[in-house]
Amino acid sequence: MINITPLIPELFLLVMAIVVLMLDLFSSRRTVVVPAYVSMAAVIITGFLVFKFGGDAVRWGSNAIFVADSFSQFFKVIILGAAFLAIGSSFGTADRMTHHRGEFFALLLFSTVGMMFLVSAKELILLYVGLELTTIPLFVLVAYQKTNRASSEAGLKYLIIGAASSAILLYGLSLLYGYTGTTYLNEIAQKTAVYFLSHGFIPNAEGTTDLVGMGPAFSVALMMIIAGLTFKLAIVPFHMWAPDVYEGAPTPITAFLSVGSKAAGLAAIIRIFDGMLYAFSHDTMPNDSWGTMMAVLAAVTMVAGNIIAIRQTNIKRMLAYSSIAQAGYILIGVIAASKLGVASCGFYMFAYMFANMGAFAIVGLYAEKTGKKNISDFAGLSKTSPIIAALMTMFMLSLAGIPPLAGFMAKYYIFAAAIEAGYTWLVILALLMSVVSLYYYANVVRIMYMVDSDNKHHIIPSFPAGLVLALTGIGVLLFGILPQSILDMAYKTASSFIF
Amino acid sequence: MPADYSAVLVFIIAGTGIVVFTFLLSWFVQPRNPYKVKTETYECGEPIFEQSWTQFNNRFYIFGLIFVIFDVEAVFLFPWAVAFKSLGLFALVEMVIFITILLVGLVYAWKKGALKWV
Amino acid sequence: MDIGLYHYLSLAAFLFAIGLYGILTRRNAIAILMSLELMFNAVNINLVAFNRFSGSDGLSGQIFALFVIAIAAAEATVGLAIVILIYRNWRSIDADRVNLLKW
Repeated sequence: MINITPLIPELFLLVMAIVVLMLDLFSSRRTVVVPAYVSMAAVIITGFLVFKFGGDAVRWGSNAIFVADSFSQFFKVIILGAAFLAIGSSFGTADRMTHHRGEFFALLLFSTVGMMFLVSAKELILLYVGLELTTIPLFVLVAYQKTNRASSEAGLKYLIIGAASSAILLYGLSLLYGYTGTTYLNEIAQKTAVYFLSHGFIPNAEGTTDLVGMGPAFSVALMMIIAGLTFKLAIVPFHMWAPDVYEGAPTPITAFLSVGSKAAGLAAIIRIFDGMLYAFSHDTMPNDSWGTMMAVLAAVTMVAGNIIAIRQTNIKRMLAYSSIAQAGYILIGVIAASKLGVASCGFYMFAYMFANMGAFAIVGLYAEKTGKKNISDFAGLSKTSPIIAALMTMFMLSLAGIPPLAGFMAKYYIFAAAIEAGYTWLVILALLMSVVSLYYYANVVRIMYMVDSDNKHHIIPSFPAGLVLALTGIGVLLFGILPQSILDMAYKTASSFIF
Repeated sequence: MPADYSAVLVFIIAGTGIVVFTFLLSWFVQPRNPYKVKTETYECGEPIFEQSWTQFNNRFYIFGLIFVIFDVEAVFLFPWAVAFKSLGLFALVEMVIFITILLVGLVYAWKKGALKWV
Repeated sequence: MDIGLYHYLSLAAFLFAIGLYGILTRRNAIAILMSLELMFNAVNINLVAFNRFSGSDGLSGQIFALFVIAIAAAEATVGLAIVILIYRNWRSIDADRVNLLKW
């Protein structure tokens, strides 16, 4: 008999997702409100359960399959927060749908469950199943506006690229399995560490004592796993899908995609590379070539994301390229491969969640009201809806990393971790790119405040959308001024890693 | 080792030879008298009313999709059934949960009208 | 000649490469989905071959393959549904003609 108590939060959310699905089926009133509020309540309760049943692991024999450690708890809070905010800001979107409203929320919850599994998985099969449970509902959600050509195109692109990237990841996982003969991450960590301590980075032909005697296969496996996971994070050169999908998808789904799926993918990368392959960044290692490779990826991502974002006219596309650039900053924390690095990654994701969800909520609200999606359409917003404009300013400045806001503290800790790990050149580049990013973030603020227009749209958010804006606004301010509590929590998350 | 497969080779040659021989034989002895009704596609004796290259009803697609899902889930039943005796009660409960989830899916498809022929 | 692990791995690698090539060059969305299936099945061959030849008595490779089969089926189902949707909206399943979103 296996002890499954650590799984209770996930099981609860899964049951609630099925309940929401059934609610849509058997209720005669075709309203969006009931399934949406039930989903929001389910997400909050799951959040409490995550803390109530944390700390333990589901084991098979002596190996952990599923761990509910503080690292996974922290990322689950981010994922559940993103789900909550996405549901809150999708009332308007769901209201304009004619069919299958309940499914919308059920699929969102299914995807959330998948992310929670992905964050906790310590075994390759569970990792893969969690990944697919995350992405398959998202394929459907992206293509959800059935009569909208752009939405269905985004769905097709996301499907093809998402499935291809998971096939690549899977091929890497199969090689890893063949190389080590086990699917448990902790056993893989032991075997690779022992192997590399005795053989160096790329094993030579005579040093192959492992089960199949193939050395370079391990490097290929690592490359394919990195490629597959960085597809999910939209790291350059695997970013091409992100702008198209972000633009075509319903706005709350775009927001959820850009925060939730990114957080889950990030957690998986940290687990695999900082947790399992810590040997690579260890002092006794002959070199740290994977660190250098990831550093180059991060650098290219920041440069490309920020520079292409400058010339975007569509606000969703601009935010898509900005989120690509943000993924580059986050990757710096992974590369640092230290306690501070993991903690700063967590904190960055936390701050990013508030600013990005808030920004997308405003974009969604504005598009619902006016049908306009260009940055220039925001002209005169400060006159007609001053509070919305002020909030948007806050989110933009937080994404850019301006001092009193959460985004600044996040960037600060990421850079501190990278300097500690000796990646000074990367930090200098990141600082330069932050300055570049200020240009396009501040451009939105300039258009809202400085450019006159005959825009008469007064935007009044509905109650859930208002709640989302209030929460994200408070989050961006509060965790910018008082980051300590979250930072301590984030620091605790790194305790399960060996550095 | 190739000698072990000589019997297979004999079978392959004989099998192919018989098929070719019968086809050739019928081709030589058959009477050829084509006329319109004879060259038409045979549809169980019914007179044909359209070409065989037609657009299929979309419904077939939906049924196909539902079939694929339920068909593939059966793959988990076989290893479970084989190892059932050594797994005990826990596996039974797990499989009941699994099948319940599949049933919920079936009920869902049913209620949504996916199983109805419109 | 004995058939060993390398033969299976080469077969899987070829299949995977054919699938990847298909995704990159095919324009018909259905053909792209079929290429994806090739990639998933290449992984299955890999997993089962590793499981058979690794010498350990575990079955995790085979179980992994079962899960991959099930999930590939789910992916194919969603994929076909999205292709139907594309056909309804665009009257074509040529991936090159579905090009509203760019840059």
